Amino acid sequence: MAFHSHIHRDPNGTYTFSSRPRPVENRSKYREAPPEQTQGNYGNIMYDRRVVRGNTYAQQFIPTAAQPDAAEMEMQQEIRRRAIARKRAREQSGPKTPEALQGRQHIDVQTELYLEELSEAIVGTDVDCQTDAFLDRPASPLFIPAKSGTDVETQIEDGELFNFDSEVQPVLEVLVGKTIEQSLLEVLEEEELACLRAQQRAYQELRNIELAEVQRLQEQERRHSEERVHRIAQQKEVLEKEREAAEKIAARAYTQQYLADLVPAVFKSLYSHGYFNDPVEKDIETNFFPWLMAEVNNTLERRYTARQLLDNIIHDVAKERLEGFKEAKSDE
Amino acid sequence: MSRDLGAAPGPRRAPVAFGRWAVPRLFDELQRPDSSSRHEALESLCDLMRDPERLYQTVNGGFLEQLKVLLADDDASVRRETVELLHLLCGHSVGRQALLASSLLPPLAQLLDDSSSSCRTNVQRVLNRLALLPAGADALLALVPKLMLKLEEEEEEEEEVQVLLLSTLSRCSRLNALPALASDGVSLVGRKLSHRCTSVRREAAAAMMALSVPEDGKRQVCEEEVLPVVVALLQDDDVEVQANAAGVVMYTVVITAGKYQCLDLGVVPVLLHLVSRKEEEEEEDEERRRRRKALVVYSLRALTSLAEAPDGRRLLREQLPLLEERSQAAEKDGDVRRAAQTAVSTVTWTP
Repeated sequence: MAFHSHIHRDPNGTYTFSSRPRPVENRSKYREAPPEQTQGNYGNIMYDRRVVRGNTYAQQFIPTAAQPDAAEMEMQQEIRRRAIARKRAREQSGPKTPEALQGRQHIDVQTELYLEELSEAIVGTDVDCQTDAFLDRPASPLFIPAKSGTDVETQIEDGELFNFDSEVQPVLEVLVGKTIEQSLLEVLEEEELACLRAQQRAYQELRNIELAEVQRLQEQERRHSEERVHRIAQQKEVLEKEREAAEKIAARAYTQQYLADLVPAVFKSLYSHGYFNDPVEKDIETNFFPWLMAEVNNTLERRYTARQLLDNIIHDVAKERLEGFKEAKSDE
Repeated sequence: MSRDLGAAPGPRRAPVAFGRWAVPRLFDELQRPDSSSRHEALESLCDLMRDPERLYQTVNGGFLEQLKVLLADDDASVRRETVELLHLLCGHSVGRQALLASSLLPPLAQLLDDSSSSCRTNVQRVLNRLALLPAGADALLALVPKLMLKLEEEEEEEEEVQVLLLSTLSRCSRLNALPALASDGVSLVGRKLSHRCTSVRREAAAAMMALSVPEDGKRQVCEEEVLPVVVALLQDDDVEVQANAAGVVMYTVVITAGKYQCLDLGVVPVLLHLVSRKEEEEEEDEERRRRRKALVVYSLRALTSLAEAPDGRRLLREQLPLLEERSQAAEKDGDVRRAAQTAVSTVTWTP
């Protein structure tokens, strides 16, 4: 069965049901398998068994009690059971009244004590109504809803309304405070910068001063050292000159001394070399001495010859003697 | 609370997204080819960059590379706005470091020759701020010759540009003065010393002081006949100009040529006048007294160096009481006292 209804339980417990309008389906007598029922099985509502027909006020009505008692329930069940049993019994009981003969007719007859009029016509009464002549519609009464809720009242006391002058005070303080704070910061920054600059300038000045002093002292030192070097050089020169002078003097003295006995030395030397010749001596030298030497030579020559002879004689004698001895030895 | 953008009057600004999406969205808008939207986005970014938090977010988000494209844009106002954005970035150390780490310096340097003068001014401002960082000054040393050229060209231009240029040059030269000296810095800056505007004179004197630190610079200062102008500046109205001029003198008299030139110019009485107490007692303001301190100490050092020359020593020996007054314990400032004591000892030294 296609579900058109929608049951929903809200989270806070309320129960809602909604469904799309749908035509009433024909209910068959016998239960069929539910899925096999088609949708085209809509029946005419006029011929639906479930719809009540006709007058409704003369029919049996269902008890309005929502919850019948258990005893009543039992009673009703008993009645139902009995009705079913009766029905069964009636169907089972075979013999019924036979059919009426021809020309005769069976009629139901009341045999109770008090006769009751049976009629198909239901007692009805006619009631009619008639509207009155049109009256003017009265004015709708003023809708005054019933009083609901609690009464509350309020009153603006003095001083509760927004007072600008007092409310603006903190805001203004903040604004002014912030602005002044900012400007103070900026002034401080500028002062700091000025301080830094002043310090830089002081440092520069000090540096310049010290640099000048250093340069002056350097210059002084340089000058002094230059001066010193110059003076030392000068001194050296002086010393050098003095030394040279002393040397010159010494040399002169020595030379003088040397030259003093140069002349006799020269003469002596010349004399010794024979540049001054004495004729007698020369004569002796040239004439006498060669002859003398020759004579000496001769004498020596003779002597030598004599010695030689002697040597030869000795030698011969010795040799003879040696031979004599040899012979003597060999004879032994 | 007060940092939120209101409906500010002026050029139209791009709408700013809320919270942490503000900066990335604006940078996305910059990518679009529409020039006016870029202009508006840049305006909004400039406003936002005043907040350190957003600046930090910009720097860390790596958005700087996108600015590189914008620096070469056709529209001059876009370029100007981009450089102004970089200028705001350089106000913080993280920004400066990020700028140095990124490769934005070469295109920025090219913008020095830009056709729009406001753009050039902004570039000068960026470079000026960048030179505050030692690493930045180091990076800018390569640009010093170009800056010197600019200085030479800027004859009749506004003083602000000259002031910025000179200030950048002096900061770079404090790190290393050799590039500036090599580009003939002394004569260029010397010409600016007699400018009519006080700030130009002040910055020129500061630059000259930085230039005269190395030996080469001192010699150039003596050769280029800059000293007469400097000595004239010692009697200027502005204390800072005087202080810087005294600094130049202080460095230059270290070498002998400087000593004799200055003695010839009669600088000793001027310096003594500056050192004297009487004028300082008139100054009641703490700030000005502090500024005078630099002047006083520089003058004392210059006198010390001058006392090493016999002529100077002779002159100063006559004025010894004045110096001694400064070296007494009555002098509140320790540096001044020490400087005066050194001066006194140098003057009274005998070989």
